Amino acid sequence: MEERLYDLIFIVRPATPEDEIKKVLSGIEHTCAEKGGKIEKTEHWGTRKLAYRVAKHREGIYVYQQIRTAHHELIAELERRLRVQDVVIKYLTVRLDEDLKRQKKLVQKREQRTARRPRRATAAPAAPAAPAPEQAAAS
Amino acid sequence: MAEEQKQQSQAPSGAPRRDGPGGHGGGHGPGGAHGGPRREGGPGGPGGPGGRPRGKRQYFRKKKVCKFCVEKMDFIDYKRADILSQFVQERGKILPRRMTGVCSRHQRWLGVAIKRARNIALMPFAGSAAGTHAPRQVVPAGAHPPATPTAAPHVSPAVPAAPAATEAPKA
Repeated sequence: MEERLYDLIFIVRPATPEDEIKKVLSGIEHTCAEKGGKIEKTEHWGTRKLAYRVAKHREGIYVYQQIRTAHHELIAELERRLRVQDVVIKYLTVRLDEDLKRQKKLVQKREQRTARRPRRATAAPAAPAAPAPEQAAAS
Repeated sequence: MAEEQKQQSQAPSGAPRRDGPGGHGGGHGPGGAHGGPRREGGPGGPGGPGGRPRGKRQYFRKKKVCKFCVEKMDFIDYKRADILSQFVQERGKILPRRMTGVCSRHQRWLGVAIKRARNIALMPFAGSAAGTHAPRQVVPAGAHPPATPTAAPHVSPAVPAAPAATEAPKA
């Protein structure tokens, strides 16, 4: 089974001390190691204003992670754990690899298109030049 | 409740910056970035770059170009709330394509991205944009002179002190 890339964002209560956040993060790390996943990226976005009230809070500390795994059970397990934790007020996991695949494809297509145009111009004079030596060799 | 609603309805008027792409400014906000194409198209017509004010010019419609196509974005990131917020009304409704000029493919991706962003509270669901922020920020504004509250609610708490200081010498 191929590996998949997931985005994991969770929001913790604004007044949470650093240690608590670290505890949550180490918990995620632990489950990842257990179920065979790799944390590719971890970003702390810090305190941000929420667009709407969540658990009576208007602000929250955002933490963003990218996880690569071949086991979807890991994501289910992570979500379960985040749901249980009291400091985490919201979380979101998004599967990213298909979007990125599509992006790659489009970029490739564009590159081909841009590469084709000038190549045609250079290919035209090169083509008649190539058979000429062969003819000379044949005769 | 009625008071709250009043505050909500007043808040947007006091925040021209946030109003940019949304509300009545709908198509003009994002379209404003594409002043270039319109001027290029102009020389064909009688007005041209000289810009002689004519009655007919009023009905001239500038051609909108998809912003994502221009920037060659193949992936709209739901985490970039600053980009996404250009394509919603101030209350968080997704703007239709006819307003923003986004091509159909990008509009599809944009919709998905905005909905994802809503899920993680980066973007408001429809109807809660000004509502969540107004009540909380009005309270500190009340401490300032009555002239400031119109501008204060959406500016960061540090800024309202500046207008108050500038107004003082005038008075």
